[in-house]
Amino acid sequence: MPSKRKSREKIENLSVALEKIKAREGVIGYIYRDSTSASVDLRNPTKTIEYAALSATARESGEYLSNTFNLGDVNTIVLEGGDTKMLLLIFGDRRLSIFMENNVDHNTIYDDLSLT
Amino acid sequence: MNKDVFAAALRNSLNEIRAICPDVGSSFVFTKDGVVVAGDAHVDNTVMEKAARSFQNIAEKTDVVGGLDTLLIDGDKGKVYISCLDNLYLAMITSKDADIAYLRSIAHVIVPTILKLLESILPTPLKFVPPQQLTVETLSGFKARFTADTVEIHQEILKRWSEIFDGQGINKVEIEAFSGKTAECKVKAINNSNLEGKGLIRIPEKICQILEVKTGELVRIKPIAPQATTSLWQALKEIQI
Repeated sequence: MPSKRKSREKIENLSVALEKIKAREGVIGYIYRDSTSASVDLRNPTKTIEYAALSATARESGEYLSNTFNLGDVNTIVLEGGDTKMLLLIFGDRRLSIFMENNVDHNTIYDDLSLT
Repeated sequence: MNKDVFAAALRNSLNEIRAICPDVGSSFVFTKDGVVVAGDAHVDNTVMEKAARSFQNIAEKTDVVGGLDTLLIDGDKGKVYISCLDNLYLAMITSKDADIAYLRSIAHVIVPTILKLLESILPTPLKFVPPQQLTVETLSGFKARFTADTVEIHQEILKRWSEIFDGQGINKVEIEAFSGKTAECKVKAINNSNLEGKGLIRIPEKICQILEVKTGELVRIKPIAPQATTSLWQALKEIQI
């Protein structure tokens, strides 16, 4: 089944890309979710619940705001905090949140993921 | 300059920004409590309030990242860019291809400069108080006729508002029905201990008719800053002298 194989390849490619990204200076970690599973790899696992809550709320509110202002489907959300940045990518029913220090260029991380 | 003039000046500024930046479809400013301060002519007030409240949900969860500075939502057909400006947030709804660097310069340079300028010509800092939702109890009969322009609310609410305005007493409120009708009235504390803590506002029949509300319905109430009435009284005294 070519489409299933293609999906599996994409996910494997994503895992490889995430490993490389996580090794970069300033990247704190990521949370990946799809309809059946979740994967977490954070420098400080004690903050997992807080990061997960932020990611879920950002997605929900992001979609609400996008609907309110007729902006279509949400592709990415970038949230810059006082010391940490979150890049949230939404593709279908999957959600990938990457947390990094503010001085990291999230655009290069997005390009490296090559999610097309 | 009072709050209405401040909001009007800010609204005009946002309209001008829209005029010179074609990528900005609309914009508005709101407080950290979700109170909308001003919006350009292209956004409905209800929409702004709902958007501000939705954004608050995110802001409440951002302690883990050191608070919230900016939020960019990138959709298929456009973007929402929200930026923190001291005690306020600026939201801009833009086209899909809007230049983020350009939006940042508006959010971090132009609008803060305008706000600083407006604040520098104010005698005291403005306070934006979130409205309080209360249940109507209609006042009718003999007593209501003599206090037909005065509503009654719980003492605790008046005390809380007074603290926001540095201990000055609150003598007037603005009441807004959910239909959009508004009225400004005098206010005093409820003089009945049995009614305290029930979230009520006792409104004379005449004002209920203006607002088109009846007992049991909800209304929103905001204090009117005591500065305006105090300044007016001071001004009158000086004229007499």
